[in-house]
Amino acid sequence: MRKVIAVLITLGITIILLIGSMDLPQFGIEDTPTNNDVTKYYIENATKETGATNIITGVILDYRAFDTFVESSVLFTSAIVVMIVLKKEKSK
Amino acid sequence: MERLITNYYETASIILFGIGFATLLLHSNLIKKIIGMNIMDTSVMLFLIAKGYIQGNVAPIIVDEFKGVSEYVNPIPTSLMLTGIVVAVSTTALALALTIKMYEKYGTIELNEILEKGDE
Amino acid sequence: MKDKILNTVVGNLIPFIQIFGIYVILHGHLSPGGGFAGGTIIGVSFILYRIVFGKEFSQKKLKFSVLLRFVTIGVCIYGIMKGYIFISGGNDLHFPQPPLGTPGNIMSGGFLLPLNIIVGTVVAVTMYFFYCLFEEGEI
Repeated sequence: MRKVIAVLITLGITIILLIGSMDLPQFGIEDTPTNNDVTKYYIENATKETGATNIITGVILDYRAFDTFVESSVLFTSAIVVMIVLKKEKSK
Repeated sequence: MERLITNYYETASIILFGIGFATLLLHSNLIKKIIGMNIMDTSVMLFLIAKGYIQGNVAPIIVDEFKGVSEYVNPIPTSLMLTGIVVAVSTTALALALTIKMYEKYGTIELNEILEKGDE
Repeated sequence: MKDKILNTVVGNLIPFIQIFGIYVILHGHLSPGGGFAGGTIIGVSFILYRIVFGKEFSQKKLKFSVLLRFVTIGVCIYGIMKGYIFISGGNDLHFPQPPLGTPGNIMSGGFLLPLNIIVGTVVAVTMYFFYCLFEEGEI
C-alpha cells in the first residue's frame, strides 16, 4: 500500500515537471535569455583584465572568487564535522 | 510535445530525477536511500549545465588567437556548477557518517527494524 | 610474494601520478583543469599509498596534525587575499598586485596561481581525511 502511494507521488511530480518544461527554448540556438550582455562582457574582457587564457578559470577565480571561497570553507567544514561525529567514546 | 523530444537533455534529466526520487522512497535500506539522493543531485546538475550549449561553437579556451565574441560556448553555467558538485560530495559524506553511528547503536540498517526497536 | 610485487609497482608509480597532478594544478589558467581536478588527483595518490602500505607507514609520513594545519592556514590566506582584492578593486584604488605578464606563460595572471594551489591543497587533504575516517575511527 505504501509502495503504491510512493510510485503515484513520483509519477505526479515527474509529469508536472515535464509539462512545465515544454515551454523551454530550443536546445542550442543563440538568442535565449541565458546568453545576454554579461556573457559577452566576460568573453571579451577576460584575457585583458585577468591574464588567463582559460576563460572558466578567469571567471571562477577572479570575477566570482567569493563563491569559490565559500565552497572551500564548505569542504573544510564537512571534514571537521565528520571528524566530530565519528569520535569514539572512551569506555572506562 | 515535439519540444520534449528535441530537448532530450532536459527530458532525460527530469526522468533521472524521478528515478532517484522513487529510489529514495521505495527501499528501506539506508545505503540505497543515500544512492537515490546522489542520483537526484547529479540530474539537477545535468539540467543546468545543458543550458549553456550553443551549436557549432567551441569550448571557451583561447588556443592561438581570439576568434570573436560569438564563437565560444557560454562559460557561466559551468563555473556555477563546480560549487554544486562539492556540496553534493559533502552531503553524501555526512549522511554516510551518520549511518555508521546508527549501525553502532541499533545493530541493523533496515529502517523498519530501527523504527520497531525505537518503540520499545 | 604478492606483497613484494604490489609494493614495488605502486612505489614506482605514485611519483608519476603526483607529478601529473601538480602539472594540472599549475597550468590551471592555460588549459582545462584547475584547482579542483588537480587536487582530486593528488588526493587519490595519497589514498593509494595508504591502501597498499598499511596504517603505520602512512601515519608516519602524513601526520594528521600537520595536514590539518595546512588546511586551516590555506583557508585563512585565501580569505586575506580575497579581502585585499575586494578593498582595492571595488574602490578603484589599485593597490600593488603580482604582475599580469603576457597571457601564455605560467607566471601570469596576478592572483590566479596562488589561489589555484590553495584550492588544490584543500581538496586533496579533505579527500584523504574522508578515507581515513571511514576506514577506522579517528582520535
